[in-house]
Amino acid sequence: MPARKKTVGMDERIKKLTEMARVLRMDVVRMIHLAGDGHPGPSLSVADIIAALYFEVMHIDPENPDWKDRDRLVLSKGHACPVLYAALARRGYFAIEELPGLRSLESMLQGHPDMNKTPGIDTTSGSLGNGISIGLGMALAARLRRQDYYVYVITGDGELEEGVAWEAMMAAKHYRVGRLITIIDNNEMQSGGPVEKISGLYPILPKLKAFGWHCQEIDGHNFIEILRSIQLAQVEESKPSVILAHTVKGKGVPFMIGDNSWHKRVPTEAELKEAMLALGGGGVDETGKHPYRRN
Amino acid sequence: MKQESTRIAVTETLIELAGEDPEIVLVCADSILVIKGKPFVEKYPDRYFDVGIAEQNAVCCAAGLASCGFTPFVATYAGFITMRACEQVRTFVAYPGLNVKMIGANGGIAAGEREGVTHQFFEDLGILRTIPGITIVVPADAGQVREAVKAVAQKRGPAYVRIGSGRDPVVFEEPVPFELGKIRILREEGTDVALFANGFILPRVFEAAEELKAKGIKATVVEVHTLKPLDLKAITGVLSRTGAAVTVEDHNIIGGLGSAIAEVIAEQRPVPLVRVGLRDIFPRSGRPGKLLDYYNIGVADIVAGAQKVIKKKLER
Repeated sequence: MPARKKTVGMDERIKKLTEMARVLRMDVVRMIHLAGDGHPGPSLSVADIIAALYFEVMHIDPENPDWKDRDRLVLSKGHACPVLYAALARRGYFAIEELPGLRSLESMLQGHPDMNKTPGIDTTSGSLGNGISIGLGMALAARLRRQDYYVYVITGDGELEEGVAWEAMMAAKHYRVGRLITIIDNNEMQSGGPVEKISGLYPILPKLKAFGWHCQEIDGHNFIEILRSIQLAQVEESKPSVILAHTVKGKGVPFMIGDNSWHKRVPTEAELKEAMLALGGGGVDETGKHPYRRN
Repeated sequence: MKQESTRIAVTETLIELAGEDPEIVLVCADSILVIKGKPFVEKYPDRYFDVGIAEQNAVCCAAGLASCGFTPFVATYAGFITMRACEQVRTFVAYPGLNVKMIGANGGIAAGEREGVTHQFFEDLGILRTIPGITIVVPADAGQVREAVKAVAQKRGPAYVRIGSGRDPVVFEEPVPFELGKIRILREEGTDVALFANGFILPRVFEAAEELKAKGIKATVVEVHTLKPLDLKAITGVLSRTGAAVTVEDHNIIGGLGSAIAEVIAEQRPVPLVRVGLRDIFPRSGRPGKLLDYYNIGVADIVAGAQKVIKKKLER
């Protein structure tokens, strides 16, 4: 069974991913500090999922970002792009030195993902709620061409308040796109506060189950659960899959947790130091050099 | 007046194009009957996607298909693409410059006719014109729709083709060549006044030109089928020759052809202008001919507009 085979060397892989997620989180905080703008909280909640996808799960080739058979990622919650940029840089799509350029005029790193300006970005995103729909189009394209890539969509929970997300869920069920795998970064917060205080969105999974999706619920900071749920989602070929990942906004940086001002806020010099300390400091020097960096 | 459906013209052209190009697919939002598209579905069942009554989903889904190399045509009512799914068109099609082609039915009040305001779309062109990077075509009749669909299929990038109700007048009895991005001078009686127009309304402009001729006024009739990119040089040339202009469109006078020509006039060649079109109000239901007359888009309005601008020109 593939699941058994996958457990071989699991400890080593989890260790590697844990370290990578730590590095990505440090990249995020430093990047936003240096750039003077960006969304740290939502980047940190999704960091483990991004690490798992880019450093374990996805079939991609940084040397050939437009490889036709690559797996695709749609970051529907485009405002979490700092962590995606960090992952792409660490994976070798571009130099790590690009990261502090975030949101500046000369930089390839736009305020929200732009598929034409940044190598490795599969979809322009940032306007919330649309990711599943775009992913559906990509999955239909794969089927039509008889390609076997997977399309991963990462959506926030709050953005599911957008109607187009549910339009896409209905259509995805209708078209039985088994290779469309949606991961909900369920950090329970949106820009204006707790999702529960703002809308009647919860519970999400019973709704998706009623919509005919293959549903799983995991701890979005547990790599064993992330990897296993993605594997199970891949096995399900007759319907689209959703993984509701419970996450913590600001995960890894204690002072950002529970304080939604970190949805979008720039850490000061002192806060940067505190964050780095919390994230285990070391490993990455001021120039961004790190053992994971491709040379 | 002889009619030919612009909607059937779209479907027939798509079938023809799909036979040559395996990348062409059709995305509908429960709108297959709008374009009488069943023959396409029968011929290419795998290349047709209906996402349900969900235009935002249709546009995003098309963007996803296009980002993987397909050329999706999204076909439904003009207003549902350009208004309900406006932001999806702007952010996920136009901004990344994806190869999505949009077909908008019921363009104008005459094409929406008895359905009323919900299905009469007179803002589509103005909305799309403010979004960078979209080629916008307003063909005159079914034959021109065929040419326009072929032309936008050949040009990479986002495009919009406006079509009608399916009861659309034949403007050109003989096939006429179509060049994307170029104006076409249809009549050149003289240089007293330029009548700029596009779409199914052109027969009214021909009629007005005849009436003007009878009054001793020599008009140049210019079809501006490509609203974007605009044929700036040629339009400026016409303005220089005539020194007076009237625009005629089945669209709000704000945002469409009237605005486009006004912009050229203001920046390139100031001349008197009258815009004939829907005067920034919501219309009623009604038969197309009566509607256009009632809302001051009649032959008499064009004639009066021409006389007014010529008078202004002579007063200068």
